[in-house]
Amino acid sequence: MRHFLLIMASVCWFSMGSLYAQERTVTGTVTDSKTGEGLPGVNVLVVGTSNGATTDFDGKFKLSIEGDVSLKFSYIGYKPQTVKVGTRSVLDIKLQEDVEQLSEVVVVGYGQVESRDATGAVERVTSKEFNGGVISSPEQLIQGKSAGVQITSASGEPGAGVSIRVRGSSSVRNGNNPLFVVDGIPLSGNDVTAGGPDGGLGTSAPRNPLNFLNPNDIESMDILKDASATAIYGARGANGVILITTKSGKGLGKQITYNANVSISAPANRYDLLNREQYLQGVEDFGGDLTVLRFDNADTDWQDEIFRTAVSTKHDVSYGDSYETGSYRASLGYENQNGIIESASLERFNARLNWNQRLLDDKLTFNTSANVSRVNDSFAPITNNAGFQGDLLGAALIAPPTLNPDFQTLGFLNPNNLLEYNQDLAETNRVLINISADYDITEDLNFRVNGGLDYATSVRNTATSRDLVIDARGITNNGRASSVENVNRSTLFEALLNYNKKVGEGNLDILAGYSYQDFRFTGTSVGGFGYETSDLSAMINQTIEAGNTVRGAINGDYQQFGYDPDATDNAFFTNQFGQAPTLGNPGSIPIDAVVENNFGNYNELQSFFGRVNYNVLDKYLFTATLRTDGSTRFGGNNKYGVFPSGAFAWRISDEDWASDAFDNLKLRLGYGVTGNQEIPHNLHQRRQSFGGIDINADGGIQQPGRSNVAYENPDLRWEETAMYNGGFDFGFINNRLTGSVDYYYKNTTDLLIQIFSPQPAATDFTWRNLDANVINQGFELMMDYVVVDNGDLTWNVGFNVSRNENRVENLGAFFFDTGNIFGQGLSGDFAQRIANNQPLFAYYMIESDGFDEDGFNDIQEGERQLTGQFPIPLWNFGFNTTASYKNFDFAVYMNGQGGHHIYNNTANAFFTAGSLGSGRNVTEDVVESGESPSNTPIVSTNFLEKGDFLRLQNLSVGYNFDLGENSFIKAMRVSANAQNLFVLTNYSGIDPEVSNTATRNGIPSFGIDYTPFPRPRTLTVGLNVTF
Amino acid sequence: MLHFKKDMKMKNFKSFLLTTLAITAFSCTDLEVEELDSEVIDEDLSSVNVSENLTNLYNSFGAALLNQENTYGLMEITADAQLVPTRGTDWGDGGRWRQFHQHTWTSSNPDVLRSWNDLNRLTFITNQILLSGPDAQEEAETKYMRALATFLILDLWGKVPDRDPSAPVIEDPVILNREEAVARIIEDLSDSQISNLPSAGPGDPSNLRVASKASALFLRAKFFLNKHILLNGGNSGATAENADMQRVISDVDAITAEGFSIQDDYFSIFEEPATSSESIYIITGDNGSTFRIANTLHYNHNFILSGGGWNGFATTSDFYSLFEGPEDTNAPGSGQEERRGFVPNDNLGRGMIFGQQYNFDGEALETRGGAPLFFTSEMPEEITGHGEATGVRLIKYPPIPEVNEETGELEPGNGGPPFQIFMRYADAWLMKAEALHRNGNTSEALVMINELRELREATPLANLSDQDIIDERGRELYIEFWRRQDLIRFGDFLEPWLYKPQSDESKLVFPIPITAVSTNPNLEQNPGY
Repeated sequence: MRHFLLIMASVCWFSMGSLYAQERTVTGTVTDSKTGEGLPGVNVLVVGTSNGATTDFDGKFKLSIEGDVSLKFSYIGYKPQTVKVGTRSVLDIKLQEDVEQLSEVVVVGYGQVESRDATGAVERVTSKEFNGGVISSPEQLIQGKSAGVQITSASGEPGAGVSIRVRGSSSVRNGNNPLFVVDGIPLSGNDVTAGGPDGGLGTSAPRNPLNFLNPNDIESMDILKDASATAIYGARGANGVILITTKSGKGLGKQITYNANVSISAPANRYDLLNREQYLQGVEDFGGDLTVLRFDNADTDWQDEIFRTAVSTKHDVSYGDSYETGSYRASLGYENQNGIIESASLERFNARLNWNQRLLDDKLTFNTSANVSRVNDSFAPITNNAGFQGDLLGAALIAPPTLNPDFQTLGFLNPNNLLEYNQDLAETNRVLINISADYDITEDLNFRVNGGLDYATSVRNTATSRDLVIDARGITNNGRASSVENVNRSTLFEALLNYNKKVGEGNLDILAGYSYQDFRFTGTSVGGFGYETSDLSAMINQTIEAGNTVRGAINGDYQQFGYDPDATDNAFFTNQFGQAPTLGNPGSIPIDAVVENNFGNYNELQSFFGRVNYNVLDKYLFTATLRTDGSTRFGGNNKYGVFPSGAFAWRISDEDWASDAFDNLKLRLGYGVTGNQEIPHNLHQRRQSFGGIDINADGGIQQPGRSNVAYENPDLRWEETAMYNGGFDFGFINNRLTGSVDYYYKNTTDLLIQIFSPQPAATDFTWRNLDANVINQGFELMMDYVVVDNGDLTWNVGFNVSRNENRVENLGAFFFDTGNIFGQGLSGDFAQRIANNQPLFAYYMIESDGFDEDGFNDIQEGERQLTGQFPIPLWNFGFNTTASYKNFDFAVYMNGQGGHHIYNNTANAFFTAGSLGSGRNVTEDVVESGESPSNTPIVSTNFLEKGDFLRLQNLSVGYNFDLGENSFIKAMRVSANAQNLFVLTNYSGIDPEVSNTATRNGIPSFGIDYTPFPRPRTLTVGLNVTF
Repeated sequence: MLHFKKDMKMKNFKSFLLTTLAITAFSCTDLEVEELDSEVIDEDLSSVNVSENLTNLYNSFGAALLNQENTYGLMEITADAQLVPTRGTDWGDGGRWRQFHQHTWTSSNPDVLRSWNDLNRLTFITNQILLSGPDAQEEAETKYMRALATFLILDLWGKVPDRDPSAPVIEDPVILNREEAVARIIEDLSDSQISNLPSAGPGDPSNLRVASKASALFLRAKFFLNKHILLNGGNSGATAENADMQRVISDVDAITAEGFSIQDDYFSIFEEPATSSESIYIITGDNGSTFRIANTLHYNHNFILSGGGWNGFATTSDFYSLFEGPEDTNAPGSGQEERRGFVPNDNLGRGMIFGQQYNFDGEALETRGGAPLFFTSEMPEEITGHGEATGVRLIKYPPIPEVNEETGELEPGNGGPPFQIFMRYADAWLMKAEALHRNGNTSEALVMINELRELREATPLANLSDQDIIDERGRELYIEFWRRQDLIRFGDFLEPWLYKPQSDESKLVFPIPITAVSTNPNLEQNPGY
């Protein structure tokens, strides 16, 4: 719009200009100082006048001037330049890129504003600042980059889920992740990878919903933190919004870029387990009897058996061009990421096209962005709720070192067998397409429609062979396998009207919009039991074949079937609402029994919204937003929620009286209400479905009846979060020192929570809006200082720090226990409680001060109590420094957390004297701990540890080659990158950053460490070439 | 020229706007919810599918009782025949097993909560079915299940919440007191209801999993045997009424008339629970009887049970001493009565697993630390700090080994039979004997008890006391769900036993789970909690 006004102005000027005789014409080309490419759209302004022009596609401009004037050239992302024309009639200008200025535009949802005009707490992280190395998911790109944004990957597993908290946790249920919007399409947040069944080892951790994107395709990520910014996404803005913008062809000229990386990863840390000698001594010292040695003559390090040094590779190539009426960029990517545990890997193929086409004299613009990806996951048998046998990691911790790597059955699970006899593969295809048309109806009025499709299919095939000796669901001698297929489809339609007009001393910008998005999820799960073969792939094929055979004998629709040819009764049945299908004879199948279950749900969101920005004298900025959202998750009169917000910003440094010491000083004040609807499908009507269908441990199938799956709560309504925000943006010393400081207060009310139903009830749990508050308050400080900037040498230092305090209020005598603890002797136990006037997930356990003289828990107080400790970090830090000297560049990123505690469930379950006494291996410190082997390892403060840490997350060095003007290669860069180089911490586990799922009765948890997939230390070398 | 352009522009604009408005209007939705894998139930419950809800009811009852914790824990591990000592690092589990045995449970005990939810959910389902137009047999089946659930809830908590099943969750349930709950059980098990149930004789697994005349009669006999306790909460003043005992006698006779009988070869009953002449009502589900096996066997019993057992549950030496036989051995043929079982030296035994354990090859088993796996009847002083081998183990259902098709050798299997017996004819037999005794007809009761004892290869009793009856019930019915209830009926539940001092009277019922009290203002906590 601004450009448009300028063009109009210059056209007017031209037509008037012919009246004056002294006029002359200046022409020229504006180019990028580095690439030499012409820059289109550069503003050229005669200083002191409103006379100006913009450069055309090739960077050329033509301007009539009068007398001796100066021209100011300005372009977003480049340092402005003012040049005296003198007598010249041709001016060739080289603009220098300005890293500082790159962040001057922020995307705010349904539009973008210049940073100086932003009224909310919004932060942009661009591709130049992204973390390097092995990045399986885009969130990791901005880890530690933004104050108040805590990003924790669940584990070191390739493609693991990530927990992101923008300004703390505001809900007492799962669903605290921010809303992700990729090129305008809000994602559903669903994990689209098909879930794995619980084959007896526990259930696996969720996958990352963003790992379909190639990080190299991302241009920037904008984080909307405060409610005045997120309110435009009212329904889903309560946890913050992260807007991902992918790279476009804008500004490119027939350019091919190729990136290649090779990485090598190894576990950054491992447990100091006892070796053979220490173990034998330990068992004897701790009450075991070695007179009858039944152990092998081995000294096996079981961590060596399951860990590996993994090599990962990544290639991508992109081609982009911009032409007179548009631009495009296409890319292809391939990544093969191997985990540091055997059999864990992620392979991704990715293709993307972004295309922008202007028509009708630039009045109409079409934008297309399309992403197609295929992700192949291979999962190790690692779960987050394993019982006494442990999963792969647990089994490797407790297996005696005296056993041979191929031992079969000696009261322990052999980790090698677990790896050999288990296969778990998922293939996920995902398409994300967004098409929008943008039309300038008048100079002031713009209309846009936007259509999006997000479509993902995923197949997950899992098999555990009959050869695995395990106490779980009849697997031994039978084998189990399953094939699960999920389809997620979401469509989006949006219509937006934007009106921008100068009104009096100010500028008015009004947005009105409508948005509709639906989410359809369907899936089929086939499970088989009883295989002749031990070949894992053959087991999967036989399962699918058996499923198809039985399906072929069913004439009609069904929800479930079960087929057990050996059974005396109910050999073949289906379950179906309404008319049951007729059944033929499936005949023989290659396995003993097969079942199928079909599931799915459908949800819709509809929203109407508006935003008014009013900018007076470029100094006083007002924003007001109103959004109303309707959701099928709520019934009756509660479908719609209304979410208002308002913000004010004052550019103090632009006041005449402002001190010159400030290059920039802006005050921001904001208030807004946002909502949350992340609860399961339709809880406002009573619904019945067929019970879960599975094959029993003895191979029989029990036909499920119909049971209640939802007990209507017609009163359910939106959870609301009101947030106040106040902050300053500042710049001193010619903007060499820049930064911002923010304070916020966040109050979440009408908490959506899953509680036990008052019995008798249709379902054990129901959802309610709890009349209580979750308060998050804190501050954020970000600073960046350019220490040196003198041509050859530049050096930047930046840091961010944030503090978030979290408290539950007005809960009265209600409380909710959570933080499930797993492991032998700990079944059903827990460690946390949500209680009044406490931080979320406050630790609740017996206070014990180590061990007494006899080696027993030195219990201070017999009853469980609130310990005053909590798992959510109070402090988050980020530190970065970048330097460049001539062709070299160098960057370091560190991040840290503090003020919180971690519960070491791994040690509680595995590393105790009693564990050693009964022949399980332990860590070295157990021998020294003074614990008696008769001591019972209760959930106590003995395992509650400080979680403070500082991690060197990323260190990189790069070299940019000097290439001749006419070189075929335009730019070439080599780089080396190290991730997770060291962690400074007193925490005794292998990694202080934990994000395990210890949900209890539907109440989420945080900060419990239980056999996580270890984080790797990774070295990467990379090549980047532009042709 | 300019005008023309403007017109074009306006025209374009209008059509563009109209089209988009049309699209917008068309896409505006009323947000009506759509179901893909479930069915919305009409408010008057008329659309509830009765037969499939009944199937769910039976499945749910099985799932609620099969495992080693929750309702089974409340009914059995709180009594004297079974305990779960804390073995070093194992079975601490937040103290839940010690709480059971030592009567120190609290209102936040997780098993109490799950049991409360499981059993009360059953009454909700039954109420929901009863409003959905069941036919006469379906109604009788549903009422049988409601009586069963009500009986257990009343027994365990002394009060029974109830609600209109068509009301939404936000309405608070009301509470039936002891009298009201007893009245509902009597109504649900009326002769007219029972007459609408099918007859199912022994040996028919699919009919023994659902309500039959025999199972309803068994439930009614058990109810009347305990009615004075259910009405008075186990107070010492409560005595059985003659008329109630007479009902017990006639109902057991009616069960006998359905074809059930006591069966010779005690452990064969549990080998094939579905076809035994004693099985009146069986429950089934995933893992079947395997919970009763795995919870007690040692990890190194993996020669017969794949992956080994969980090495937890044991019995006390006092309970072990209730049986005839030498204390120091349980080898086959060492003079013990049949029900105490035996431990051969080339296999896992049955009943009371005492002493050294062997695998199929006759090799002595060891603990994980390498010591001999010798189950002792003596116990350490505390309930915590036990080793792997303390306590005699209890096994009724046999783990079934696999037979290697090539070599014919036995290999570890995946557990026991797929059923557990919930109502057994020998129990009915002893209930009748007890009722006769309580009505003063002790001589006839003694004849019955001796008839059973002879079948079990135990010495006949010369005379019969209350103590003899409760002990006989213990010997016959250990780990079959009823020990707590029996001890309460005989006034023995609060008595001290190993690791447990005398408990106070409040322990005759369990606390209402704290989450239940906090979500229903009509629900008052039981006294003493």
